[in-house]
Amino acid sequence: MALPVRILTAVPICDGHDSAINTINLEFIRHGIEVVYLGYHRSVGDIVRAAIQEDVCAIGISSYNGGHIEFFADVVKQLRKRGADDIKVFGGGGGTITLADAMAMERKGVEKIFFAGTSLDEMADYVREKYGKPRKKRSRAKTRDIELARKLTQIEDRFAKSKRPASKGKIRNPKSAVRNSRVIGFTGPGGAGKTTLIDELVLRFLRQEPKARIAILSHDPSVVGEGALLGDRATMINSQDDRVFMRSMATRGQTGGLSPATEGCLRELIQGGFDYVIIETVGTGQEAMPFQKNGIVDLTVLVMNPDYGARLQLQKIVMLDLADIVVVNKTDQARARAAILEIERRLDQNKRAQQLVASVAKRHRDPGVDELFGLISGKQNVEALAAASAGHGKRRSPRRAPLQRRRRKR
Amino acid sequence: MSKLGQVVESVEKYNRFVLDQVKRARTDEKFGRELVDRWNEVKANTPIMRAPTGLELPRLALPEVDEPGEIARYLFGEGLPGQFPFLNGAYREMYLEPEREIETGSFGKNGHGKNGHAKNGKIDKKKIDKPAQAEEPTRLFSGLMLAEDTNERFHFLTAHQRTHRLSTAFDGPTLYGIDSDADGVFGKIGEGGVAIDTVEDMVRLYDGFDLGSPDFSASMTISGPAPIIMAMYIAAAKRRFGAKVVPKLRGTVQADIFKEVQAQNETIFPTEASLRFLTDMVEYTTREMPRWYPISISGYHIGEAGSTPVQQAAYTLSNGFAYAEMFVARGMSVDQFGPRLSFFLDCGLDVEYIALARVSRRIWAIGMRDAFGAGPRGQMFKLHTQTSGRSLVAAEFKNNLTRTAAELMLAYMNATNSSHSNSADEPFTTPTEEWIRLAAHGQAILLEESGIFKHTMNMLSGSPGMKAVERAVEAAILEEFREIERMGGVLAAVENRYQRSQIQSAAHRYEQQIYDGTRPIIALNKYCNQDDAPEVKLSRTPRSKQQLQIDRLTKFKKKNAEKAKRALAKLADVVERGDNCFPSLLEAVEVCSLGQITDRLQEVVGRFRPMV
Repeated sequence: MALPVRILTAVPICDGHDSAINTINLEFIRHGIEVVYLGYHRSVGDIVRAAIQEDVCAIGISSYNGGHIEFFADVVKQLRKRGADDIKVFGGGGGTITLADAMAMERKGVEKIFFAGTSLDEMADYVREKYGKPRKKRSRAKTRDIELARKLTQIEDRFAKSKRPASKGKIRNPKSAVRNSRVIGFTGPGGAGKTTLIDELVLRFLRQEPKARIAILSHDPSVVGEGALLGDRATMINSQDDRVFMRSMATRGQTGGLSPATEGCLRELIQGGFDYVIIETVGTGQEAMPFQKNGIVDLTVLVMNPDYGARLQLQKIVMLDLADIVVVNKTDQARARAAILEIERRLDQNKRAQQLVASVAKRHRDPGVDELFGLISGKQNVEALAAASAGHGKRRSPRRAPLQRRRRKR
Repeated sequence: MSKLGQVVESVEKYNRFVLDQVKRARTDEKFGRELVDRWNEVKANTPIMRAPTGLELPRLALPEVDEPGEIARYLFGEGLPGQFPFLNGAYREMYLEPEREIETGSFGKNGHGKNGHAKNGKIDKKKIDKPAQAEEPTRLFSGLMLAEDTNERFHFLTAHQRTHRLSTAFDGPTLYGIDSDADGVFGKIGEGGVAIDTVEDMVRLYDGFDLGSPDFSASMTISGPAPIIMAMYIAAAKRRFGAKVVPKLRGTVQADIFKEVQAQNETIFPTEASLRFLTDMVEYTTREMPRWYPISISGYHIGEAGSTPVQQAAYTLSNGFAYAEMFVARGMSVDQFGPRLSFFLDCGLDVEYIALARVSRRIWAIGMRDAFGAGPRGQMFKLHTQTSGRSLVAAEFKNNLTRTAAELMLAYMNATNSSHSNSADEPFTTPTEEWIRLAAHGQAILLEESGIFKHTMNMLSGSPGMKAVERAVEAAILEEFREIERMGGVLAAVENRYQRSQIQSAAHRYEQQIYDGTRPIIALNKYCNQDDAPEVKLSRTPRSKQQLQIDRLTKFKKKNAEKAKRALAKLADVVERGDNCFPSLLEAVEVCSLGQITDRLQEVVGRFRPMV
């Protein structure tokens, strides 16, 4: 089976025109392309870093706000500078990029500019044909990010080529390699705010641990042999940082919220010397724990929405038995108080030291997220929790974040 | 139920009321007679005017009805121009030319069109207080390179106009609250709009214009950092004319956060914080600057992002009601802010545009009166219309003149209060003088040269087709309102990215229709010529100018370094405390750049997290 083509798309800095790229992304996906979408108003640095970490074949840039000659040329230049010039650059800007501009851009190393009136099929065909071929032998990776990114690609490709899991389990005990990596798994239903929550945690890691390096494996659903929109980066504004290595993965047909290649990639990241490795599953339902099998996740966090439905639904959520920390996010919603009480009672049945945190992740400096950050980063807590999840620890009462909304005075 | 639910109910109730009045007019003889008398009086008092060809026409066009029920349907259901529920116009005379050819009658009393009073050399104070009736509707959006270049363009555009109505486009860095010296924005300086970093740029931008004059108004199209830019405008005006000018300032700042989050993506602070800064500004300006419009509730960008016309109107109106609800919650009275709200819609070629603004005006009036208790001035939907930029294409671009002309016709049929006509070269460039001149002339040809709008108000209103579109569009807008209400109101729907998703899927469908040919675009997918791209002149900012902007900024920052630190600390403190931050912004802009203020505010309230 052919390997899925992976590309990154973005809109330049100071440009919010995302109507064209949204449509183009959908068409690319329909044509079997995996699109890592970085969003609008993105700097050259963000685009280049993301393209390298995601190890895409090409970057597509949609620009409607002028300054395109400089911007595209700068992307090409930065890719070269970082030894990643096997990543190609293409793009368009409707009528704003003239023929003369396009020629100037091509002279500066941009591979292709599409003009207004190009059909979406033509664009998708171009991308598949041009960037769908197996890569030629690649020159030696010049940076740590490039090397790691390529290894992850190899792992993904192995699974795409043969449906059989190719894990030969070379690393018997991955944790022994680098003791300091803390692996945290986030799961929960779609729309609960996992992505926002993780990004807010990353902001706190970066601020409070000035040297910490973080890796994120983020998953989005896809069907075998078909395209996917990998869009978490677009909203994870704090995670676009040189100390964060992020990789977006399509599940490529696997159920359970992860990709067949997740475990292999995770092992690779653990060896990469990151202080924290965060895995985010796709939005999940009532099925069991996605992280159970591999046994390398130190801490599991279930993120929930207050509107899960009737209380009975809680009995069906297996993850509530298994998670170390349960976060009820979006507690600014009407049903929040009742939800927290119900979940608290549900956790009581388990008689384990599970923690309950209430948060509003979208809020700047949210105390609930601070609390979660404390639980995840504080060594004591984590060890106690890890011990507890192995069935030893003593039960502690769930902690509750203050529920009342702080009223702003004016 | 949120206020939006109440708006839906009030429109439904009003529609029932109209039907009741129709029935009553037919059954209650006394009531019917009163209506007929009133109707005859209106007709009798309508002056007759003579077209240049000698043809005599009434100054106001009314339907040919004499039956009390139909009279009731018109007077209550539509209202005469300038009367509730304002279907036919927020004001009366609008585009009419001066009265010189007209035999006297009472209905045309304050009906001086443009040039009206200047001509007799006398200026009537009262008329100036009603500028929307006396000004040319032409308001052309412009902004390019540095402040002095845009200033030159402004003078070029207004050279022949009695009233100076400027409309300012800002460049990308300014729209995102970023300084020109920020990393990686060099090529964007002065592109697509003017670069503004400091109050000094703002002084240069409007140089030579009398900002306090009743014949001057400035519109600024910016939303994310709008309160900062507004503060800069006030500071610049004070530098040139002293503090006394502030209450005299006239104009509009867009400041529409909801549509940014829904469609245009130029938000820089989290939604709630943005709304708070907006409310701070509205509270200040409605108190200190009674002639300023501190928000322009905009559907244009929703339309341009690809929504259907109904979505455009529905989201714009519901955003408007949400703002009103928010301002009331802050403690402002609806009669304080209501008259200071203005609207901005797109006008494209889809059939809905025959009546989109008319229907919007009616829903707004009923909602504001019955759900918010607004007085007459707070019921008026004062509208700026821009022809659709998205409808213009690069292929055989001169066709864009025809597209824009047709859209302008529709805009005037909808009695827009002001309008911008796009330049035909817009698919490739910030408009160049040649094409912007043709765009401006397009408006003059329709309004001044042609007899379509200048002799008779209401000239093209009320055709059976227009009525059919009105009914269909109103029903569809109310259905959208109900959907938003089911989601818990506008803010909840925004957070669930409802409007965004709807707009995106409409945009996707539009593109597919173009590609599969079901939506013909002449010279793009039908009657195409194989010729290559046209030779056009481009307006681009030279690197030397971009460097000049950075040099100016560096100098400003150096000069004010110490003062800036103090001003920013004070601002942050006020924001942290939750007080109205606008007065501190006014102080800060004297010594801080746009980017410095944005950065400091983001430290306190966070950055906007984009929605996909």
